Amino acid sequence: MSPPLRPNAVAFISPQNHPILIRTFEKGDELKYHYVAHTSLDVIEERTNGPTKSNDCYLGLLYAMDDIAAYGYITPLKMKIVLALPLTDSVVRDAEVIMTFRALHLAYYHASSNPFIRLHDTPTGVGSAKWKRFRQKVDEISRAASGGSVPS
Amino acid sequence: MNSYPAELLVQLAPVMFVAGLDLPSAPSTSPPSTPQSPGQTQSSPPAPTKIQDHFASLIVRLRDALQSQHKVAIWAPERTRAFQMILVGKDVRFPPRKLVPPEDLAYASAHSPLSPLTPSSPLYPDGLIAPIWIRKHTQLLPSVFVLFLRLFEAPAIHARSPLDPPDPEHERDKTEEERRRDNDLSAEIAARKKTTNERGIKLTVVLLATRRMLDDPSLDSRLTFIRRQSGLDSRAALFVLSPVSTSELNDFARSLQDALYEPALEYYTSHSKRVRRKRNRHSQSVSSYNPPALVSMGVANTRPLRPEGWTVRYEYKMACFAEFRGEDEVALKHYQDAYATLMIMFGSTAILPPRTKRWAEAKVLADAINVKITKLYLYNSEHSLALSHHNSHMRRFADFSRGWGIGEETFEYWSWMARQHRVLAELLEQGSNSSLTFPTNSSPSLTAGVTSAGTPVELDAVRAFGLNPSHALQHPGHYYYMAARCTEARRERFLVNEEAISQGTSAAPGYANEKKVDHLSLILELYTKSYEVFKKHSSTTSQGRLTLWIAYRIAHTYYESEKFDVAVRFFERIAKTYRREKWKHMLRPLLSTWYACAQKLSDVELMATLLVEMIGYAQDVNESRTLQDDLLAVLKSSVPVSPGKPLIVDLKESDPLLDTMLVFWVPEVQVGEEAGFQLSLSTPTNIDLSTLPIDSVTITLSDGYCPVVLRHSPPTDGQVADRAVRLVKIGEVVPEDEDEELEEICADLRWRPGERLVVSGSISSEAPGLLTVVGITVVLAQNGWTVEMPHEPCASHEISTLVPRWLTSLQPIRFLQLGRDDCSSVVVRHRPHELAVSLSHQAPALLDEEYPIAIDITNVDERHLDVVVDVLLQPTEVDQAAQYIVFNDQRSSGLIKGIRLGTIAPGVSATKTLYLVGSGAPGDRMLDISIQSTSVQPESTSEGDEDAEPHSSSSLSEHATIDSCEKLQTIVIPTSGALAVTYDVAYRRSKDPMPALADLSTVEDDFWDDSYGGIAVVTTRIKCLAPCGLVVESLKLHRQNNPLAKVLDCSSDDNSDDMFPDEYLPGDEFCNVSRISLSPREEQVLGEEKITGPGNYKVVWRRMLPDGGRGRESTTRFTLPTLMIPQDELIALLDAPSFARLHVPTTIYLTVRNRHSSRSANITVALDLDPSDAFVVAGLRNGRLPILLPGSEEKLSWNLIPIECGHVKIPRIKVMNVRRATLPSQGVGVPNTEDDMEGEAVKVVDVRADRNTARVQSADDGTVAIPQQDGSSTILVLP
Repeated sequence: MSPPLRPNAVAFISPQNHPILIRTFEKGDELKYHYVAHTSLDVIEERTNGPTKSNDCYLGLLYAMDDIAAYGYITPLKMKIVLALPLTDSVVRDAEVIMTFRALHLAYYHASSNPFIRLHDTPTGVGSAKWKRFRQKVDEISRAASGGSVPS
Repeated sequence: MNSYPAELLVQLAPVMFVAGLDLPSAPSTSPPSTPQSPGQTQSSPPAPTKIQDHFASLIVRLRDALQSQHKVAIWAPERTRAFQMILVGKDVRFPPRKLVPPEDLAYASAHSPLSPLTPSSPLYPDGLIAPIWIRKHTQLLPSVFVLFLRLFEAPAIHARSPLDPPDPEHERDKTEEERRRDNDLSAEIAARKKTTNERGIKLTVVLLATRRMLDDPSLDSRLTFIRRQSGLDSRAALFVLSPVSTSELNDFARSLQDALYEPALEYYTSHSKRVRRKRNRHSQSVSSYNPPALVSMGVANTRPLRPEGWTVRYEYKMACFAEFRGEDEVALKHYQDAYATLMIMFGSTAILPPRTKRWAEAKVLADAINVKITKLYLYNSEHSLALSHHNSHMRRFADFSRGWGIGEETFEYWSWMARQHRVLAELLEQGSNSSLTFPTNSSPSLTAGVTSAGTPVELDAVRAFGLNPSHALQHPGHYYYMAARCTEARRERFLVNEEAISQGTSAAPGYANEKKVDHLSLILELYTKSYEVFKKHSSTTSQGRLTLWIAYRIAHTYYESEKFDVAVRFFERIAKTYRREKWKHMLRPLLSTWYACAQKLSDVELMATLLVEMIGYAQDVNESRTLQDDLLAVLKSSVPVSPGKPLIVDLKESDPLLDTMLVFWVPEVQVGEEAGFQLSLSTPTNIDLSTLPIDSVTITLSDGYCPVVLRHSPPTDGQVADRAVRLVKIGEVVPEDEDEELEEICADLRWRPGERLVVSGSISSEAPGLLTVVGITVVLAQNGWTVEMPHEPCASHEISTLVPRWLTSLQPIRFLQLGRDDCSSVVVRHRPHELAVSLSHQAPALLDEEYPIAIDITNVDERHLDVVVDVLLQPTEVDQAAQYIVFNDQRSSGLIKGIRLGTIAPGVSATKTLYLVGSGAPGDRMLDISIQSTSVQPESTSEGDEDAEPHSSSSLSEHATIDSCEKLQTIVIPTSGALAVTYDVAYRRSKDPMPALADLSTVEDDFWDDSYGGIAVVTTRIKCLAPCGLVVESLKLHRQNNPLAKVLDCSSDDNSDDMFPDEYLPGDEFCNVSRISLSPREEQVLGEEKITGPGNYKVVWRRMLPDGGRGRESTTRFTLPTLMIPQDELIALLDAPSFARLHVPTTIYLTVRNRHSSRSANITVALDLDPSDAFVVAGLRNGRLPILLPGSEEKLSWNLIPIECGHVKIPRIKVMNVRRATLPSQGVGVPNTEDDMEGEAVKVVDVRADRNTARVQSADDGTVAIPQQDGSSTILVLP
């Protein structure tokens, strides 16, 4: 049994590669995860545009750098989610990561279904400080992932 | 990697010593070439030097060929039986096995000079293993010794003629000489053989001989002699080589290695065995664990090597020998054992006290073994095992380091970490240059195909389960990056340490060394390497964000190392991408470092530019204020670099200073109409621009309009200064005019957080197009500086666009959201053309009529309009309907295009009539009428149409869009029939007898025989249906006689002139009768075919218009109905006169016809006389006619004398066809003679009343048969 994931940070990135929401669950090092999210885009683009193109949403391990392993997920509408996990010497089960990603995707999906968000505002507006529910949901998922189970 | 002894890292390969290939520096060094006898020298003076040249070049080439066989490398996964060739002198000596000579008695107990047991050894007394040991086996001791020697060859004698017999004396001399020389050679080999045998080294001799010698018959015997004499092995010990080409030399080198590989393996195997024996002996003798605590620290220096140390030593040696043999798995196993034992030793500070020489050596050894293990795993593509070992090595030593007091807080720790990362990176880089490939690490479904190819199955299973991210192999760039990061940490710790020293604390151990290290250039080197590798491995599609991140680190390092100009260049490039993708959080620290660089470079313009941009990115009010103060300070303290020229700070890519939003009230306006707009300039709530010296704001509109300049004027006291929303009205924006001065409008151009300035105005255009604000330039002016900041008309700090809002009221402040997406521009269009179109017609249309539809177009516009009409007749859905339209002399069943009505001046109307003709079936017809109008200049109308064309086109090109309009109108026209027709057809049998069988006239062309067909009387009734009433002008029967039917006469033939024209109201009918003679052929009779009507009626009529006029002449045609051929078999025709006179005999005839095609008839005729009959009859009363053959007839006659007046009945005539129609059942009994006689009754038809009537509704409708009235015939008897 592998230990729970304990994500360090989650980044939602719009199809235009603008940051939507970068949520850090560690104090004091928010900027680092901005860089992680931004550099992950490179690998995501490589995976999605490269010769070994796949239609799978889950992109697997993007890279490991410093003490962070970045995992990627791309929604059918090209919104990207990057999960930064701490680099511990243990196996990260893909099924768990995928489950977390799905939950995050769903959270985004629900948040973007908010009828009070304007249509042209949707990808980036969802992450704005105005809408607290999305952040809460993301935090909840992160807590649940750390606890070992993910709410559906 | 350079930080470790190369010996400990390189891939080991079997060592071969090659002797005898010294470059001939002087001819005398090569004894065989020295001439032996003076006489021979004279006989062939050039020969020796020539031969010598051959061999000298052979030796040179051999040296090259052998040395190129194997390159010493760290990464060499191929196992190609390659030797490491070392060229040595012939008289090379091997290092002594032991320090004491073998003759000495102490030899048995002595140890190798490198052994820790030998006091003079560098390892004495407790060293583990030294690089020098590897060097001994790679440089000083071969596994195979190859000796190149020159075989003696007596010089050839050229002077003699080949015909001469061989000189026996000379031959003998030569043989003797050879034998002597071979003896010398053998002795030399034997001496060498002795030394190699001591060591178990294989000796191989290569004899160099000329090509001539190879063919010499005596060669074999000589070689055998040499081998025997020198005691060489029988196998692979003696080669002969003649001067050959380089490629052949390479082949030789290859075959030499192949041949000697086995002995080399044997050599190393024997070494391994020896070491294993020693290890086993050792582990048996020291099986009990000696606690190190027993040895006091004072004597630790002289303490001997502990059993663990010996194990490490032996395992390491065995691993090395296995590596020499190319047995990677065995080597890996031994290295792992050595490493494991080494870990045990490190575990106790008593065994390996920290910071001692042995401890440092052991650390280096452990690192080197780790590299070897990692490398061996990587050879086998076991990436995760390799990384797992490397990671655990780092983790273990990190743990140990904490125990040794060099934990994470020391630079030593980070220096070591950096070295580990760097070694791995270098190893991977070397590997990637040859055979190593990096996995993609993507999700299992992606890599399933890739991994199953090379890696073991268990690994796959682990993959499916998940992946340990730290075991995922990545390209070396990542590890270089890690090394750089660790070096950064190292530098940080060092600086802390340095600070501590300045405060008087004692220096950390190793501080003096650390002080010499140039950390920054080291970091830079690592980052640069990482950058290069990342660049190499990034695909072409990637934006290089990873490399940008590293570049950012590089820039930082340059900044740290005070190379600000280089750093600035990096920052410039990085900021571009970050700005474009709106990663503000990353841009902020970048900008501040960049600004710091600019400060150091004292580049004032750059500073100002950066400060402006940083204000845009400011996170809170205080930050923006501080930055503004900085900017003000910069502007005040300096003078512009180029006075008079404004400094332009382009904020289009990055966050603007002011959020701008342009809103047009309506999406489109007409030409000349004013379009109201509001441009709002606001600051976000977290930015304060109240101290920024904004001098003016220039709003540039689309081409051809004056820019609007807002000049700052501080609010006077009376005004409400601090309102969150301020409105500035600029009125209508006027088109550009050279003479006019730029109008400036005063406004308060200071923004506190969240304040908004709304510029409200309007714009209008005389030409259609798009109007918008092109740009907004905010101008700062201070101390001679002019800083221009262009803004986009819709830009905001938010990533998403702002919601367009329209300020509706200032008190209270109220905005109205416009429900459009794009409010930032307005489209100017032409006004629609005012055309009144009326379509007039008198519904319904009638079939076959040219139905007029008047299109009346009136220009109620002020412009001259050129009008073109298109008409489309929609296909009808009614069956059998045909239709077409006629318009302007064009006729079409579909579309008529481009009917020009010409230019219509204002107030003028034009009319065109369109005709619709529907025929076939009634139903609705649909017309689409499109009226296109184009406005033209009035003067073009005065010219001719041809001249107007180019003029209008040129005027059109002036305007971007053509001022044209289209009006569409659809009308549905019900169509009904004008006339309805009904036919009544009566068929009459012919009285004429059928032509005789042999009548020759029947074969003539114009023969007409209606005796069979008779005559059809067609009564045609035509009824007027048109609701408007019709004037029928004429009715004509057009005869279209055919071979089967012809029109005999028609009632309209004579009296139509006085009948028409006549008016018919709906429901009125008129009638026409025609007779048609039928002459069917026999086959048509049999086939029961129908005969097409031999003609049609043509009715010419006009519609009666409500105003009393007449419509256009229309023609309707009705075809005569289809006629049937009467079908009779046996028939009796009674021909009686219509009247008779009393007592005057009158004759009646009865014709019996057999119309049956094949059957003859037996006819009896009986005249029933009744006493009440009014006739006296003379003639046949009762009799049988002769047999009637098919197609024949018989005529009977009676004379009747009427004896009564009035309508009297003709006596009943009974005609019977006698056929024995007895059924078998009846025939059994007594035959009924009565019946027998009677037979079938034959119908007697009075020809006067012969009407076989049928009514036909119209030409093709079904025929309705009307049964013939039955009644006995009468004759009117007149007195």
